[in-house]
Amino acid sequence: MTPRILAALALTALSLTATAQTAPSAEKQRMIDLGIEHGTARALYDHFKQEARGGQALTWRTVPDWTGIWTREASPFFWDPDQTSTTALPTAKLTPEHQRLLKDKLDKVAKGIEFDPLSNCEPAGMPRWLVEPFLKEFVVTPQEVYLVNEMQNEMRRIYTDGRDHPSAADAYPLWEGDSIGFWNGDKLVIHTAQMRAGQYQRIQPFYTEQVETVEIWQKTDPTTMVVDVWSFDPPALAEPWYTRQVYKQLSNDDKSLRIRYWNCGENQNNAVEKTDTGTSDFSNFTFTPKDDK
Amino acid sequence: MRRVLSGVLGLATMLAAPAFAHHSAVMFDDQKEVTVTGTVKEFQYTNPHSWLLVDVKDDKGNVTTWGFEAEGPSTLTRAGIRRSDFAPGTEITITGNPMKDGRPAAAWVRATRGDGKQFDPRAGFAIK
Repeated sequence: MTPRILAALALTALSLTATAQTAPSAEKQRMIDLGIEHGTARALYDHFKQEARGGQALTWRTVPDWTGIWTREASPFFWDPDQTSTTALPTAKLTPEHQRLLKDKLDKVAKGIEFDPLSNCEPAGMPRWLVEPFLKEFVVTPQEVYLVNEMQNEMRRIYTDGRDHPSAADAYPLWEGDSIGFWNGDKLVIHTAQMRAGQYQRIQPFYTEQVETVEIWQKTDPTTMVVDVWSFDPPALAEPWYTRQVYKQLSNDDKSLRIRYWNCGENQNNAVEKTDTGTSDFSNFTFTPKDDK
Repeated sequence: MRRVLSGVLGLATMLAAPAFAHHSAVMFDDQKEVTVTGTVKEFQYTNPHSWLLVDVKDDKGNVTTWGFEAEGPSTLTRAGIRRSDFAPGTEITITGNPMKDGRPAAAWVRATRGDGKQFDPRAGFAIK
């Protein structure tokens, strides 16, 4: 994201009335209303499970073919693919406190002050995992699904064997959260809880440790994976944030695309530090001294 | 050494900026471009970012090593850029958005190898 664009974004953010998003489509509004109607991620997940009469167990004969190398279709800068412009605000309905937090962040970015915890080699974590760029793999087995992000080797494990989440007494924040799911035909429905606080993306809102998500994954054609996502986070979101994420399978005829182990710290030239002003700067390059200007 | 600083870039160029998933791009001046000609010293084909190090000689024979940052190996592979494309000693003319603090480093925008072949590292985000 370039400073000029971010400056325009932050200036726009100062005038909320001028940046109203276009009204959601009727289909999107129906999904938003579904989240509002059920109130919590768990209630929405249970609703889908009831609709599916508990879901169907997979066997090795019935696992869907989700093989291949995938990547997100939309711009990595926005959580909601419907936000296509940096002169618009994110589509989330935020609480007043989180409106202020977002505005503070955008104001700083417009001044060239920006530091992403990823620079400390932290994982993106869920739910930000969903919008990170680069490569993804989706591995389906009868009892578990592995959702793999190339970046930082982040793998989500979705337990579809009927188990529930750990008890509240034993729960603690996890980078990828704890995910349970079931199959409704060719759709995988996931409930994820126990996530760490973070941000949806750099110029997007923050989420708290109370965030929970419901996802419905469906491969709609040989090269398209559509994921309906509801985020619930009462301290941050005034209402559930529904978005539709799309991943595309990349052509890989020569098999050159492969997901390798990602070692964030393997090259000193990528070391980035947080400066005294709170922004980002490279530490020490190997090819030139720090004071070589 | 040949070095050219351009003026303000167009909107299309701005929107084509890469994701820079591991860090903010605030250390680079996206409104300027620097172009140098030299020989490849080393192609560090690494995550989360790759670095193409280029030795650039000035009129007096002094050598400065410039670093050009791009995305990691998988994105470069998608852009058709292999590690073997830039062996040490390869002649290259390369353009990037320079560091604001004046260090000899830049965000790699495009390059032309000595044999005339052109490379666009940012094409690696295209879905195909």
